[in-house]
Amino acid sequence: MSSISSQTLEKRHAPNDKMSLWSAISGKTLLDSLLRLSPISLVSNPVMLITEIVFFIVAALAIDPTLFYPLANEGERAYYVDIAIILIITVWFSTFSDSLAETQARNTANSLRKLESESTSKKIIVDEKEGTKKIVETPSSKLQKGDTILLEKNDVVPIDCDVIAGIAMVDESLLTGESTPVRKAPGDQLIGGSRIISDSLTARVNVNPEDTYVNRLIRLVESSKRPKTPNEQAISILLIGLTSIFTTVILGLLGLSIALNLGADLSVLLALYVCLLPTTIGALLPSIGLSGISRLYAIGIVAKSGRAVETAGDTDSILLDKTGTITVGNRQAVEFIPFEGHTEKEVGENAFLASWHDDTPEGRSIIRLAYEHGFIPRELNSLSLAESYEFSATTRTSGVKIRAGSGFMLPKGGLKTGGRERSRFRRKFVQESVTEEMVRGTSSSSSQFSSQEQPPVSPSEEVEILKGAPDSIRSMVKTVPRDFDSLVERISKLGDTSIAIERNGEIIGLIRLKDVLKPEIKEKIQSVRAMGIRPMMITGDQPLTAKTIAEEVGIEEYFAQAKPEDKYEIVQKQQSQGRVVAMIGDGTNDAPALAVADVGLAMNSGTSAAKEAANMVDMESNPAKIIDVVMLGKQLLMTRGAITAFSIANDVAKYFAIVPVLFAASIPQLQALNILGLGLHSAVLSALIFNAIIIPALIPLSMKGVSFKPTDTMTLFLKNTLIYGLGGVVAPFAGIKLIDLILSYLFHI
Amino acid sequence: MLQPIQALDLVLLFAVVLVSSYFLASYIVRIYTRKPSWLDSFFSPIENIIYRVSGVDQDRTMGWKEYFLSALLLNIVQMLIAFIILVFQSRLPLNPQHFSALSWDLAFNTVVSFATNTNLQHYAGEKTLSYFSQMTAIQFLQFTSAATGISCGVAMVRGFVTNSKGLGNFYVDFVRSLTRLYFPLCFVASIILVYLGVPQTLGGYSTVRTVEGATQSVLVGPVASLVSIMQLGTNGGGYYGANSAYPFQNPTPITNLAEIFLMLLIPTALTFVFGQMIGKRRESIPVVAGAYSLFAIDLIIAFIPNQVQVGPGIETRFGGFMSTFWTVVTTSVTTGSVNSNLSGMHPLAILSAFMGMMVQSIPGGKGVGLMYMIMYIIITIFIVGLMSGRTPEYLGMKITARDVKLVMLAFLIHPLIIIVPTVVAFASGAASAIGVSSSSIGYTQILYEFVSSAANNGSDFFGASANTLFFNVSTALVMFVGRYGPLACLLAISGSMIGRKRTSGSSSIRTDSLPFCVVLVASILLLVVLTFFPFLALGPILSYYQGHVNSFA
Repeated sequence: MSSISSQTLEKRHAPNDKMSLWSAISGKTLLDSLLRLSPISLVSNPVMLITEIVFFIVAALAIDPTLFYPLANEGERAYYVDIAIILIITVWFSTFSDSLAETQARNTANSLRKLESESTSKKIIVDEKEGTKKIVETPSSKLQKGDTILLEKNDVVPIDCDVIAGIAMVDESLLTGESTPVRKAPGDQLIGGSRIISDSLTARVNVNPEDTYVNRLIRLVESSKRPKTPNEQAISILLIGLTSIFTTVILGLLGLSIALNLGADLSVLLALYVCLLPTTIGALLPSIGLSGISRLYAIGIVAKSGRAVETAGDTDSILLDKTGTITVGNRQAVEFIPFEGHTEKEVGENAFLASWHDDTPEGRSIIRLAYEHGFIPRELNSLSLAESYEFSATTRTSGVKIRAGSGFMLPKGGLKTGGRERSRFRRKFVQESVTEEMVRGTSSSSSQFSSQEQPPVSPSEEVEILKGAPDSIRSMVKTVPRDFDSLVERISKLGDTSIAIERNGEIIGLIRLKDVLKPEIKEKIQSVRAMGIRPMMITGDQPLTAKTIAEEVGIEEYFAQAKPEDKYEIVQKQQSQGRVVAMIGDGTNDAPALAVADVGLAMNSGTSAAKEAANMVDMESNPAKIIDVVMLGKQLLMTRGAITAFSIANDVAKYFAIVPVLFAASIPQLQALNILGLGLHSAVLSALIFNAIIIPALIPLSMKGVSFKPTDTMTLFLKNTLIYGLGGVVAPFAGIKLIDLILSYLFHI
Repeated sequence: MLQPIQALDLVLLFAVVLVSSYFLASYIVRIYTRKPSWLDSFFSPIENIIYRVSGVDQDRTMGWKEYFLSALLLNIVQMLIAFIILVFQSRLPLNPQHFSALSWDLAFNTVVSFATNTNLQHYAGEKTLSYFSQMTAIQFLQFTSAATGISCGVAMVRGFVTNSKGLGNFYVDFVRSLTRLYFPLCFVASIILVYLGVPQTLGGYSTVRTVEGATQSVLVGPVASLVSIMQLGTNGGGYYGANSAYPFQNPTPITNLAEIFLMLLIPTALTFVFGQMIGKRRESIPVVAGAYSLFAIDLIIAFIPNQVQVGPGIETRFGGFMSTFWTVVTTSVTTGSVNSNLSGMHPLAILSAFMGMMVQSIPGGKGVGLMYMIMYIIITIFIVGLMSGRTPEYLGMKITARDVKLVMLAFLIHPLIIIVPTVVAFASGAASAIGVSSSSIGYTQILYEFVSSAANNGSDFFGASANTLFFNVSTALVMFVGRYGPLACLLAISGSMIGRKRTSGSSSIRTDSLPFCVVLVASILLLVVLTFFPFLALGPILSYYQGHVNSFA
């Protein structure tokens, strides 16, 4: 599967994100929202169902007021019609926000699915009659169980399959954490996400793509009957509780009015009822959850359930892998350090030679550094005939054995940066010096360096250059430079890594490799810390290196020399301290930890075992996004809380608007409570209109989420309580008065 | 408003209450955590005899259901015993005044009233109950209901203690509440009250010749001991119909202050017990601060009128200030004893009294007030907590949908059992049958009757005049449901806290902080106002605007 850079994705989604609210409004959405007005589809939303029932009663009141005598007045029919219209619009606003959120979620889900199907595979179609084979480029998502596919060098295995022909080396580091490639022969299993390092294979797909984890997740989230999250459940219960209380209140007032002959109008009582009901949060609760998931989609993450997003907000600790999350995947060479009797140039040139066949980013960075310093070895032109030693786990070294030749000089002018220039440079070089066939020949032999066919090299001119971990190189030579240990130590104290260079049994110098931080990772970690979340770093590096990086980005807790298996224990230990742990993983041996972690984010490039165990998958395989997920979870919870608090706080003003006019006929003294100075009819209509239009007014907030700056819990709590709690008490006073002024200006009510 | 000297009085009184209850709290914690103490050598043998006779296994802890059912069952048995005593009063000893037996409905009302710690009295004690009834049925229930309340409160706290195994053993808590808390405290308080002039005798009423030459019976009896438990146990049921307005129950301004002190003592101490028992003393801050801030708000409402009105029924010995203050205190801690007639009170003082009974935790009745405050804290955390971007948690425990359900249920019971019977009282004509007018004042009185019953307060406008079948039965039912309904819900919440996963709580909302206390007070007021505002608007608020006009119009 081709991975797509996050910039591309952001570009694709950024305009979409702003537009999506409006673009989601279509005829279909409108129709859908009207269909949802049926009482049956409102059953899942009791607050809105009651509002609709109240609408029916008021509508009956408008049609024939005498039915409800003495609780209704013949002369007030126009007023009853007004109330009924506002009531049904209130319900419609709610169904409209549901439809909108669902359309939006469906749109983003579809774009995710497109993203997934963008990778293609080479499907082999065998024509049985003619016995010929045809290779067809097929979208990976269209592969079926039983299809055979061709996998060539550098291909990513699109889906789990079995090898049926060919032998190849496969990088399964995602599964095993072991970077040494594994040999795969017919009968072996290939796991989706691994990469072919050399040669090619024919394999048969053994699962259906619809059954892949990500596909199942998209389907699960899409369904409109998605289960409520724990917080949604609790809020729903709170709303039912409040509804019961207000039902008691209204029935009590109705009873009192009849028993004490207070002459309250039924429509006013019912209007008060709807105003008191938590209609705002009742209307928006479903769409808040759904749009939270949409926002996750928009950053390329698929969540197993809404619950996972919610839990992300509760995270106390985040376990971050150093490599890939905090630092860019690989170290970069920054310095050549010669030992006594050698020059920097010498070290650089030999490093160049030793790294020529090393296609890892580390190796490339060494060549780039050497080239930038002008350390171009004279032996360069004989490199194509050299025997290369690939990195092996046992010796932990790699290198070349070459015959020194005449000086071939590279063109003047440096390679600036980036692998692309280098590969262009290399291509040019290859064309000028050797033929394609020769390169193929050497590279295939180099992948199996034990093969017998070697170009003849005279022993006198033979040079062997090895680079590798200092302690490995150390064990291979007879004499070690005096300051070898102290220099290695000094480099690791800086938090850097050293690679030793050995030429013909003599250690001539060191290469200093430095970890490069990912852009913005420092700020992200800072914001996490500001929210009271404890970031932790895990790495296989030695403690000194780990410490330096950790200090650089502001992480206090780190686990050095750790294996992926250690993640499980770290997660469990944190949890036993009562912490909610979020982590990322991609390999199979991350799966147990991903399964126990409260929030597990798997990389889409990872193994299916990891994806299965995690509760979210990042389609773009960018592990640093775990931080965005946590922030999104917090935002989701905040939005829900803010609109709930706002909705409840609104009721105070509504009491002050309606209670004074409720018994206006019999108890004029209660006008003393009419602090807004509202008219008899206008009070009820203004309160009801406010109650209705606050729903669409808050749709953008519920869909985009409450914006917040990362800071500690108490500050967020205080700030939001002031804005949405206190604001929720004050805003409706102003809003209702404003509507009252507009009504009296326009209609002289 | 208040004069400076009066404000100083209040501040001093509160200071004394807070300091003494803080020290009492440590003693209470020792009682319920069963820490060994030098008192064991005295109390343990007595308690052990009780446990052996009743077959209680001291070391067995209970789940919430068993704890609640034990309390309920024991209370019902006690009600039955008291009921029999009252119904057969005329045939029982120590009845020098030869009072007749009580009707079944009055006896029913009375036993429920006293067993639920309400002490609503539809009779005048000195004219209805014999010494035997006063000392057995009434005083017995005052002790047991106080012990039941405090036991349940402590049990609820135990659910929040880290690594708690259960809510404790109800019978052990009950017995220890009596032996180690109420008996010793009442003994000391009675002696002090006797010293201050409250009578304590088993002799008959004496007849004296007044200075004008007329004869008058002096209604005395075992008053001091009853007064001490009624105030300490936030019971409120007085010896006399006029309660602490009667000179012998509350003879001087000094006894008046002493009795206010006794009312506030244990409920305030329990707010400190909470923090001490769960091992986080600072967690008492929202409970104490919440209670006393609301207390201050109540006092401000009550004292808004420029001059505290001295209407008919206000006891001149104490004056408007002390009478109003007493009323605020007695409704806040749901004691319900009165030192003056409520109908003489200013509407805003009545409004303040309503607030006290509607909130029920300022600091509320012993045990129950604490339970309600924990309930308010949970609901507040739930409503505003999400806004901090985390699933709301209290003491590190996540608040679940079930907690919210139980809290809402506990909260819903209250308006339901107040509003429904109030409407029925008017609709059925039961109100007009006892001469209550269909006016804001009459309505206020009926509403007060049920609010007081539901809150297990017991103060009322009617006294013996509400001794009708309707009011006896309806208020008894309201008192029963108002007591045991929320008790069950709140114990259930606490029970489910046992063994619940606890987070480190390091980044959750700090409940011991000032901002949280402010939000807590605001949300309590919001909840109570949202539930009761229109009903208060028709009652005391309307009376205030009407200036005591006896009609709705």
